[in-house]
Amino acid sequence: MARHKVALGVESMIEKAPPRWLEGMLLHFLAARDRETISGDLLEEYREEQVPRFGSLRANVWYLYQALSLISVWDLLGSVLKRPLIGISLFTAAAGVWLAVMENILQHAGYAGRTVIAAWMTMQGLATLLLPMLDGRAILRALLAAGAVALGLFGAAAVERILEAPHFEGFVLLIGCALVTQGLLTVVVVFRPRHGKML
Amino acid sequence: MLFNAYNVCIVAELLGAFEQAVLLSIWSLAEEAYGRAILRGVQAALNRQVAAGAVYATLDRLEQKNFIHSHVEEGTPVRAGRLRRYYRLTPPGIKAINESRAALEQMWRGTKWPLGSKA
Repeated sequence: MARHKVALGVESMIEKAPPRWLEGMLLHFLAARDRETISGDLLEEYREEQVPRFGSLRANVWYLYQALSLISVWDLLGSVLKRPLIGISLFTAAAGVWLAVMENILQHAGYAGRTVIAAWMTMQGLATLLLPMLDGRAILRALLAAGAVALGLFGAAAVERILEAPHFEGFVLLIGCALVTQGLLTVVVVFRPRHGKML
Repeated sequence: MLFNAYNVCIVAELLGAFEQAVLLSIWSLAEEAYGRAILRGVQAALNRQVAAGAVYATLDRLEQKNFIHSHVEEGTPVRAGRLRRYYRLTPPGIKAINESRAALEQMWRGTKWPLGSKA
């Protein structure tokens, strides 16, 4: 009977788990290599030590503290910036297509050079969307960042020119600002340290 | 002698107190040195609560310096079968921790401990 009670106790302890959202947050930020091992260590400590000694509430606070200690400021920043970067990349890719089409319809002087730049914008935007697939490919990531910086500088120059030009063209200002923002976000996301300062 | 002292200083600069605590914990745990056990070992050695993030970041750094080596093994039911990563010291890691200790002893040689305030 006593043995049965002990067995039930152990079983219920094994079923204890930190809140799903909390564990989900931790798993989201851990590197693929550490996801299973570190979350397993924390779960083991949670079940074997924290819950039996301090109860569920304090154990959850402990788990939250440990999870936050594992998330770096840079990881957080990268995660926050990911969506805006995707949005801007889609915009610049589409803008590149539109510019290329317009240049080829209107065929003003020097349109061939501007078509090449528009095609580069589209390629850069599409390549940025593939960034999550370039994990561990340092050279490709650096090339992507270099391209984004170059386009960002080009965008900044275009913005400067249009602000001083007699005929204001809003679309140039908009696309120029988007290229500058895309360059900045790409650099932060690509070059953020993997193990930055812990929270 | 001079050459040896120079080497000692170089390694002692590389190993911080926390790194030494992690390395010593791995050494004393021997075959049982996995993440949670190391975390508990470091807490016991430093006599305070330690954030898991600090321990894992240190383990990662020590592995990059080739002071430790890791491998994964199957997990137990209490951790929902999730893998365990086991660590062991490498020869450069053992050398580093030995030299850190030697550097400390060398630094304190001839100095009475604990220090009192000078009047």
